[in-house]
Amino acid sequence: MTVKEQLKKIIIEGINLEEIRPEQIVDSAPLFGEGLGLDSLDAVELVVLIQKHFGIEIKDMEEGREAFRSIDSLAAFVEERRKG
Amino acid sequence: MTRPSPAAITGIGCICAAGRDLAAAMTSMAAGGRAPQPPVRFATGHPKRYPVFGVPDAFVPADLLGRTDLLLTTRFALAATRQALADAGWDAAALRAARVGVCLGTTVGSALNIEDFYREHRAGGEPDLEAIERFLRSNPAAAVSRELALDGPVQTVVNACSSGTDAIGIAASWLRAGACDVALAGGADELCRIIYNGFISLMITDEHPCRPFDRTRRGLNLGEGAAVLVLERPADAAARGARTRAKVLGYGSACDAHHLTAPHPEGRGLRRAFAEALATAGIAAGDVAFINAHGTATPDNDRVEGRVLHDLFPETPFVSTKGYTGHTLGAAGAIEAAFTVACLETGSIPGSVGFTEADPEINATPAAAPLTIRGDVAISDSLAFGGNNAVLVLGRGDR
Amino acid sequence: MSARAAVRGIGVAGGFGTGVAALRGALAGAPSGSAGQNAATGDAAGCRPADTASLADFVDRKALRRMDTISRLSILGASLALRDAGVERVDERMGVVLATGYGPSGTTLGFLDSFIESGDACSSPTLFSSSVHNAPAANLSTLLGVTGPNLSISQFEVSASSALLTATLWLAEGRVDRVLVGGVDEYGPVLGYCWRRLFGEPDAAGCHPLETRRQSARPGEGSAFLLLERPAGGTASEVVIETVRMGRVEGASAAAIPADRLLILGADGHRRCAAAYERLVPRGSAVTTLGHLWGSFPTATAFDAAAAVLLLQDGRTPEPPPGPADPERWHLPAAGEPLPAAGIGLLRVSGSGEYALTLMHRT
Repeated sequence: MTVKEQLKKIIIEGINLEEIRPEQIVDSAPLFGEGLGLDSLDAVELVVLIQKHFGIEIKDMEEGREAFRSIDSLAAFVEERRKG
Repeated sequence: MTRPSPAAITGIGCICAAGRDLAAAMTSMAAGGRAPQPPVRFATGHPKRYPVFGVPDAFVPADLLGRTDLLLTTRFALAATRQALADAGWDAAALRAARVGVCLGTTVGSALNIEDFYREHRAGGEPDLEAIERFLRSNPAAAVSRELALDGPVQTVVNACSSGTDAIGIAASWLRAGACDVALAGGADELCRIIYNGFISLMITDEHPCRPFDRTRRGLNLGEGAAVLVLERPADAAARGARTRAKVLGYGSACDAHHLTAPHPEGRGLRRAFAEALATAGIAAGDVAFINAHGTATPDNDRVEGRVLHDLFPETPFVSTKGYTGHTLGAAGAIEAAFTVACLETGSIPGSVGFTEADPEINATPAAAPLTIRGDVAISDSLAFGGNNAVLVLGRGDR
Repeated sequence: MSARAAVRGIGVAGGFGTGVAALRGALAGAPSGSAGQNAATGDAAGCRPADTASLADFVDRKALRRMDTISRLSILGASLALRDAGVERVDERMGVVLATGYGPSGTTLGFLDSFIESGDACSSPTLFSSSVHNAPAANLSTLLGVTGPNLSISQFEVSASSALLTATLWLAEGRVDRVLVGGVDEYGPVLGYCWRRLFGEPDAAGCHPLETRRQSARPGEGSAFLLLERPAGGTASEVVIETVRMGRVEGASAAAIPADRLLILGADGHRRCAAAYERLVPRGSAVTTLGHLWGSFPTATAFDAAAAVLLLQDGRTPEPPPGPADPERWHLPAAGEPLPAAGIGLLRVSGSGEYALTLMHRT
């Protein structure tokens, strides 16, 4: 499973988006606000999910904000942090 | 709406990190010092340690501290109640003969905080039932009423961070309605792993001592403690020769109905709560000598609350005392009401420790250093998870 | 100050079913209302679950994304009460008072799971924020747009009565024009485990509320809401909550509990509280209990209140409870008798030695 596929699965399960299938999430679409429509509580939940599944710590929401823009940006963030 | 008659506050008990009683807390806040530490009663696996404002064991009377059949939250409530009754000049026998209501706010006091029990159960064990039985006997208002053998209404308010403020407003309404003749109103909460883990997971805690309303603020520090106020109808207080320390003049509350954890961006519920509180007290914003703000030091709370304070009370000094106590959750509204009374009595407010630099997004700055205040009326307000907003208007009592 | 409130609507969802029709059926002794039947889920402790499927009539599924059972039950009960009252407009002149005995227990334990399983740094913020006792009321207000005062109360068996007291005072003081007041509690496997440890397995004979020497309670869950307004007065008949009196059982005066009403006792098969009812209730007064219809849980008094509304509207007594009842001690009217003119009193006692008496009648 690619990182993007993994992320979609994690988000759907971890954030209770039961009605959504992974193929419905567009890689470049916004996750927050419009697009998938996640909110501030989902954002902090996503921080925990990233910690839990990838062992990556996000220290504050400034760090998270750019990474969380879309699946594309999140996958890039995860891959970069894994290297370092 | 009819303008409600005031309730007299004839006694106050208060226990928090700032002091073993109200006078001690006021003294230490005037000196401006604070020393939050990582928690001592429990350990966690977080990479960082977040400071908290714990109540030292020495602040709690030994006989109550030893009551391990009750949650610590409930022991705090009993300790504050004892102080309040002594302050009000009520002895136990006289209290039992009266109709006495108890209205206390809490979070941990009602939570199923049974981690050890649950761990053992999950692992297939048959854990000791004491944790469950302690939970069942520790409901704060029920326990205080039971321990003092009181006859009257009993209510535990679980409105998260506005519980203490709400409890006082509700108790005042009981007196007006004749549901009881004396009301013990306040709140209590203790530090524990569940709450600590929860607030950290929300990313609204600061790994340094908190900085209310400051431009660089990162979040809150948790705290614990309790405060209880003795409320009576003014005529009754006068009849028994009790001195009135202050009066509950007005109370307002409203729900943002916006989000489970974030306040309404325009503070719509808070504005409504302020409007109701001022209307019920029959005063205008300009009559308010100072405001004890909620001021948790989270980015969201202080921005929203600060803007509302700026809009509604542009000339009124305000202070956040959470820099000295931490956020004591269900106890906060009660502890801060106690502080507000004491500030009216002394004619000064402490500085908002932790605040140094104004936030341009807020356009309102709290008192940075102790400030003399003039006036007979003050406000304490609280904002809660779930969007509850509660405001109390307090007036000077007998001089 | 007169603290009376008129009941305009009721909304219920419990093990017996959902809505006013199901409530009437349960009171009339319909098969689904009888004790002893276990749920389709077959939980050994015998709790019939409340079904939240009809929430789809009121709220978009997406909006319920993060909402656990107790929040769903709360929103359903409140929505049903609003519909029953024919109220469509909600605003800042409506308040919410929600009573819960155990709060979001499932989510609280789920939050514990999140860090027991994955470490403290992986605690779930969503589960935490949903585990606080005021989350159901907050979710209710947010989804339905109720922007008046909002209060959550939790003190075991007297929670619902205490909530009714606050609701009636808010109306009397003119703080709001309407109040959604309700009681909600959810069941779950860990609660069931604690139940069995504390009380043993419920036996097959079922719940016999007035067989006071036997432990026969069975757990339940559900949500019961009333929509209250100030009484209109005038000539139209209204069901009115007069007041709620709370006090200590020990030392309660003989006159504390009126003898001229039908008393609906909160007796639900728990031995611990039975002695308190025997102590408080005047001999010879007409009594009944309904706890066998809802199951035993702290806020079941809210269901008693909803049932009392129907009984007062019909003016007739319900089916008496199952099981033996000492005829020297209890006077149980047969079904279908006229209610006493003075109305109904709901009497609930707590494990902490308190009692709460809610007085209702029809004008």
